[in-house]
Amino acid sequence: MTRLVVPDDVGVEVVDGIVYVAHLPDGPIAVLDGIAAFIWGEALAGEREDLPSRVSTATSRPVQEIAEAVSEFIDDLLRRGLMLARSSDAVAAG
Amino acid sequence: MLDADSEVPVPLGVRLTLGRAAVQTIADRAGVEVLHIKGNAVDPELRVATAIGTDIDILVEPSDVALLDRELKRHGWRTYSTFVWGSPFGHAQTYAHDVWGYVDLHRFFPGIRLDPARAFALLGRASHQMVFAGTPCRVPGVVEQAAILVLNAARGGDGPDLRRVWQDAEPERRREIEGLIDALDARVAFSAATGGLEAYRDERDYRLWKVVSEGGSRSAEWRARVRAAPTLQQRLRIIARVPLVNVEHLSHRLGRQPTRGEIVAEFFARPARALGDMRRSRARGRR
Repeated sequence: MTRLVVPDDVGVEVVDGIVYVAHLPDGPIAVLDGIAAFIWGEALAGEREDLPSRVSTATSRPVQEIAEAVSEFIDDLLRRGLMLARSSDAVAAG
Repeated sequence: MLDADSEVPVPLGVRLTLGRAAVQTIADRAGVEVLHIKGNAVDPELRVATAIGTDIDILVEPSDVALLDRELKRHGWRTYSTFVWGSPFGHAQTYAHDVWGYVDLHRFFPGIRLDPARAFALLGRASHQMVFAGTPCRVPGVVEQAAILVLNAARGGDGPDLRRVWQDAEPERRREIEGLIDALDARVAFSAATGGLEAYRDERDYRLWKVVSEGGSRSAEWRARVRAAPTLQQRLRIIARVPLVNVEHLSHRLGRQPTRGEIVAEFFARPARALGDMRRSRARGRR
């Protein structure tokens, strides 16, 4: 299983439900609002593998309808280095 | 799905918080000791309502100033105003960054006459961590922060800060602040903020704090700066700068880099302005 974590060189500030996330120390600042902010929070709260079903439950949308978009979004965050994928065991071990 | 290239407004408070984390990251990587002061680094107990300031202020261990200056520039920070021209005290250098805004790098804090390295150690003696955007940043203890805010108020007449941290403070807290002020050798500036400055008329920095706290002409400020300088060498250095044009200030006024012609014009305009100052002072004196 995979856990998504915030890398050490990424700063995150959440204000009024909007997520501001930036590479440190150079930026830029990415702004995640609405569903993007929700997926960000959910992504950090559990396993990547069941993220689409958790988003599906929270948004009352069929999982097959949203799974691809959620996966693309997470891939984009990983590509930009704003999130990091680690094995659940490694995260649990600290 | 994530469009990081589009322009989305970022609230000032968020920019300041992330900016502090960015500056701390640079300082950590360079092994530079920094204390975050003022604005959103002030303890909530001392902060006036939601005041967060408009820029980032840091106090740097004096021997690390050159190193941090180099590292900031390597990460896209541009010098906005220098130690020499930034203020009458020469205490801070301002940098601007396209993403984070402005940071004021303090090599000492105005009003503190104790050696800057010893003052930094004293202000950091009870420091603790405040987390900005996930990054732990060192801030002074509450008493040390209060002393800094009182000294800061001496320059800008910051009424709300002064009321909150000094006038409304319990007697025990006031004693702690005054004890620290004495240890920092900062009584003159402290009195400019809290009252009783006239008791320090014979001190070399009395006139400077009088001008700064109560207002005065530019020429009066320059004379006060010369008098406040602790050594002959520093006095001569200030005197040598008097006839020079503050190109940084002129650039900010014009909103662009001044031309050679504009710098020359400013050079000749300044004595005329000083003369105007003098005439106004005399006119006031006659009344």
